Amino acid sequence: MAAPKIDIDHTKCTTPFDCKKCLQTCPQGVFWVLPVKNVKFKETDAQEPGAWKLLVQYRAMCTACDQCVAVCPVAALTVTTNNSGGKDDRAS
Amino acid sequence: MCEYCGIYGEGTLWYLNPRNYGRQLYRRARPGFVPDAIAYRQERDKLWNEYFEAVADELPEAEALRQKLDKLIQANEPCQVIPLQDCFRMVELAQPVVAMSCICRKNMRAADERSPAEYTCTGLGVGMLKWERWPERYRGGVHFMSEPEAKEWFTELDKKGRMHCVMVYGSGYAGRPFIGGICNCDYPDCYEMRHRLDYNLDHHLLKSHYVAMIDFDLCNGCGICAQRCQFGALKMEGSKGRANIDLFRCFGCGLCQTGCPRGAIKLAERESIPALKEVW
Repeated sequence: MAAPKIDIDHTKCTTPFDCKKCLQTCPQGVFWVLPVKNVKFKETDAQEPGAWKLLVQYRAMCTACDQCVAVCPVAALTVTTNNSGGKDDRAS
Repeated sequence: MCEYCGIYGEGTLWYLNPRNYGRQLYRRARPGFVPDAIAYRQERDKLWNEYFEAVADELPEAEALRQKLDKLIQANEPCQVIPLQDCFRMVELAQPVVAMSCICRKNMRAADERSPAEYTCTGLGVGMLKWERWPERYRGGVHFMSEPEAKEWFTELDKKGRMHCVMVYGSGYAGRPFIGGICNCDYPDCYEMRHRLDYNLDHHLLKSHYVAMIDFDLCNGCGICAQRCQFGALKMEGSKGRANIDLFRCFGCGLCQTGCPRGAIKLAERESIPALKEVW
């Protein structure tokens, strides 16, 4: 079965390096956060909206346990499983 | 033979060859010139995004992408596990040594290590004297250490169960890698470990020059070593009441050896064991 799809709404998730809830909660360490605003000789401000970006890097490791969704304070995450297997099949 | 020693060792272990710490490898780029190291990173990042997505979606091209990426990493970013004893040998060779924040934990867990008590990574060599040029990379600065302080630092991290590995920057300048640090890693917050263990990019983290062997007469089955193995190589064997190591799975990081209160675990030379000679 292909790995779950994880969608991030970047209009809601604006300060991931400061919030870091999903990054620290994910049992599989699926996410990355990178500074997208890089000014020479300056540290990137953790609280500046849009200066950091949350990425889904190791999606193959995602189990769709939904703990990131539960912990996100701005409801920016959606995890969708492929219905060819996994929990959707077992429910029906 | 360890392939990195074959290419970069010149008769010694590649990470103990002083030429790989050379100042000439850390030259400032000419204006308007994209150093190979940066070009390499751009190519690598693009390729690994494609590869990780291909694995997630189980696409048939995943294996071809893996081979291409592994080859690129092999040529530019050789990394290898080292036990505590070799961390000591490296800091005897390369100065200055600094404690600094870990880039992997920063990116994977949003860890913002800002003080010597929080730092978990080690920088080596003359490049560290220029850390102020990259304040975003070295958030909170760096902490310079003398050789005895550095040894104490590695010992402390080792006690906490951190696995050490050689950290290398791009080889763009002089056709050889520049050894720039020693990582103190644990799974899953480490690029190299994840790429080897989860994504089979073997050249991103070669096994060390050693394997751990247990003396069953000294082992009393306390199980401390089993808690420290990051690679699933070491388990408690119920029938013997002793720890047992799968030597094919062992990465030779030596965490079990440094953790054993009875000195029952020794590190043997990988190349002294016939079937492990070519297992890296």
